[in-house]
Parts: sequence; structure tokens; C-alpha cells
Amino acid sequence: MVRSFEYVVPGSLDEALETMKEHAPHLKPLAGGTDLLVELKNNLNGPQVVMDLSGLPELRGVEETSAGLRIGAMVTHTEIEKDPLIAEHVPAMMAAAATIGGVQTRNMGTIGGNLVTAVPSLDSGPVLLALDAQVTVAAAGGKRQLPLTEFFVGPRQTALAPDELLVDILIPTVMLGRRASFRKFGLRKGQALALVNAAASVAVEGGRIAEARIALGAVSPTVIRAMSAERVVTGKQINDADALREAAEVAVTEAQPIDDFRASAAYRRELIAVGTFRVLEEALAQTTAA
Amino acid sequence: MHQVEATVNGATRRAEVSPETTLLSTLRDSWGLTGSKLGCDVGDCGACTVLVDGLSVNSCLLLAVQVNGREVVTIEGLGGFEYLHRLQTAFERLSSFQCGFCAPGMIISAKALLDENPAPTEPEIREALAGNLCRCTGYTKVIDAITEICRDRAVAVEAPA
Repeated sequence: MVRSFEYVVPGSLDEALETMKEHAPHLKPLAGGTDLLVELKNNLNGPQVVMDLSGLPELRGVEETSAGLRIGAMVTHTEIEKDPLIAEHVPAMMAAAATIGGVQTRNMGTIGGNLVTAVPSLDSGPVLLALDAQVTVAAAGGKRQLPLTEFFVGPRQTALAPDELLVDILIPTVMLGRRASFRKFGLRKGQALALVNAAASVAVEGGRIAEARIALGAVSPTVIRAMSAERVVTGKQINDADALREAAEVAVTEAQPIDDFRASAAYRRELIAVGTFRVLEEALAQTTAA
Repeated sequence: MHQVEATVNGATRRAEVSPETTLLSTLRDSWGLTGSKLGCDVGDCGACTVLVDGLSVNSCLLLAVQVNGREVVTIEGLGGFEYLHRLQTAFERLSSFQCGFCAPGMIISAKALLDENPAPTEPEIREALAGNLCRCTGYTKVIDAITEICRDRAVAVEAPA
């Protein structure tokens, strides 16, 4: 049985932030609920207040702004799979969203909720890191924007203060239309947690890789960028398979995979190499409108 | 306590619930709609799947207060003693029920799929049911039943009027 709490539904972001200021740290925001409800059922010392975010228009929608593509924190994984702007500018996000849970989980779960859990295996993380995503967080005192790399602090730990709310995610303009790819390795096709997931984005100029981003999940305390591997491929010809293989080996050295009941660290290291190679290869094989 | 009013299977239903009450408990315990099943209680098994505003969701992971003013469809809304939905008929004809525990959720997920995509491929059917586990592992007959409906429909569309 779940410990009871006060349930509130603010009608505006300002009201929500004032409520958080008043009740933090004894308040939990409720987005899709696919994680929070499980937590409430398992935790005897649950929050005193649960704040339903469904009434906040500021947290919804996908739109193009002068800074890039803005994705509201309450946008669901199903909405990401079907959104025309995401299909046009960041289709790798659709690939990542499609691997999350089953249909029911994707219908309820939100991208903001996924990021806030900050689990190392979260599926929306790698593509967003590979696209230099920024996040906007707000408190009653004001908003701040930070790179997603700084948002993830540790396993299940984010840079959010107890009274701060994740408002939206921004893919910078320069990253829209960039070639990008995502791969997830699980123990089965449906509803699996990632053993390893990987994403890459590449900018190509004159047949060479001008810029590369490689991001890996489930291999370290947080989702990480494999920056040494990125340096290996930067400046290389796009058909230089040896460079991709070397980057794959280097990426393995940048991760700290663990042994657990799903897979051994040794197996995860193999998957990191395979995943890094494939996401680079797939991103390079794409043609881009940009 | 909170007052909840929702349209459930086309009829207005009301309940007074404490905030932590799930939609699933309210369906089963307040409204007597016991077709939706309590399986894992953490959103893995899909036995509690219902439609909320047309989307399939796990009712064990929704608070009853969250569906205030919304439209809920459960297995009881598809068919009953007087008539059966074509999905229920197909499950019956092809013996897709083993113990039957997962069937309400399976059928609701299949309905959500067919509402959106009347002629899904088998991989699309399997993907649409990935959130529904069968403890008897009787997946083949479930896929067969949905596939048969789609084939019947394809024939119907092709046949001259």
C-alpha cells in the first residue's frame, strides 16, 4: 500500500514553482508516473506532496525557436516518435524513443521524466548528449540553462536543486539536421533495459569528419561522452574504417562498465566497441539535407 | 479525499478516492470493473492496460485522480454478454486464451493498435504487444488472432461492394 500524500495540480509554471519552493524537499513532481508510481509503491518514506504537472502548458510541445528545437519536458516518448519537427531535424531521437519500454510506457512516460531519473541506462540520454542538448531548469527565483553533460551528476543524481523543475530541452540550431544514429543493446527486443546504448553525431565537410560526438549509456555512473574516441575520428576520411575501429577501442577505455546480473563488464566492453563502431558507421552513411 | 468523475466505457462514473489510489484499484474496487487485472503492479506486465483518451496505458501506474474529466475504456467497454468485439471473437475462435489473465490487456493493446493502424504487419503487431506479458507464454495464438482479423479486414476491403 502506498503511503498517502497531498495531491496538487498547479495551473501554471509560476504556481508550480511557488508550490515547490514551499514544500521542497518533501515534494515530488509527477510527469508520466511510470517511475514515480513504482517509487511511491516501494518507498515507505515517500513525499508529502505529489505535484501533477499535466496542467502546465509551458512544459508541453515541440517548437523551433531562434536557438534551436525546444522540446517540453512533458512531451511523451510516443509524441517524440510521431512529431514532424523531430522527424525532420533530429530523427535519431525517434529511434531512441522507440526503444523505451512498451507502448503503454511510451504513451505515459515523458522525456523530462526520463532525464530526471538520471539512471545510467536511460535511453533518451545518448542521442541528446551527441547533439549537445541543453536543458532549462526553473525555480521560483528564476530560470537557468545548462548543458545536459552538467545535468547528470551521478547515478540517479541530477544538478536539480530540490525546488527546481526541468522545463524543456533544447537541441541547438547547429545540430538540427546533423547526421546522428542510436543503438541499444538489451537482453531481448521488447521492454529491455540497455546493457549498453550508444549514439553518435557527425558533421562532414569535403569528405572528412569535421566534428564528431559519441555518447554512451549504461557503462558509467552517468551517460558519458567518449571524447578521446571523438578526437580519433575527427579529420579522418568518412570511409576510413580503420579510424572507426580505433575509435571503438578508445571508447572502451573511456567507460567504467560494471558486472551485474544482466551482463558482465567484459561483455559490456565488447558491446561498447561494437556499438561505437556501428553508430559512427550509420551516422556517416546518412545523407543530410543540411 | 478527492472526487473523481470520468467517462468509463461511455458512462459517467464517480468515486471518492484518496490521492494514492490507482486507477486500477478504482476500476476494480469502486466500479466493479474487474476485467482489468492486477499483475506486476509496476508497469511491466500490461495486464491492467486500459485506454485513456484513446491511448493505451497501465492503469496500475495512474492515480485515479489523474483521470478526472477524461475518457477511460476497459475490456468491459469492448463487449460483454450481449455481444463480443471482433477481437474477443477472434481470441475465442483461435483459442488464444490459456489462463486468460493477460487477455484483457492484450485485447486492449490490440484495439489501440487497430484504431490507429487497421492493417498492421506481424512485426507491428508484436511491437504493439511488447508491453503485454503472457505468463503461459501463449503468444503465438494471440498474434494469430490479431493477424486473422487484419486479414479478414483486408479481404473485406478488397471485395467488390
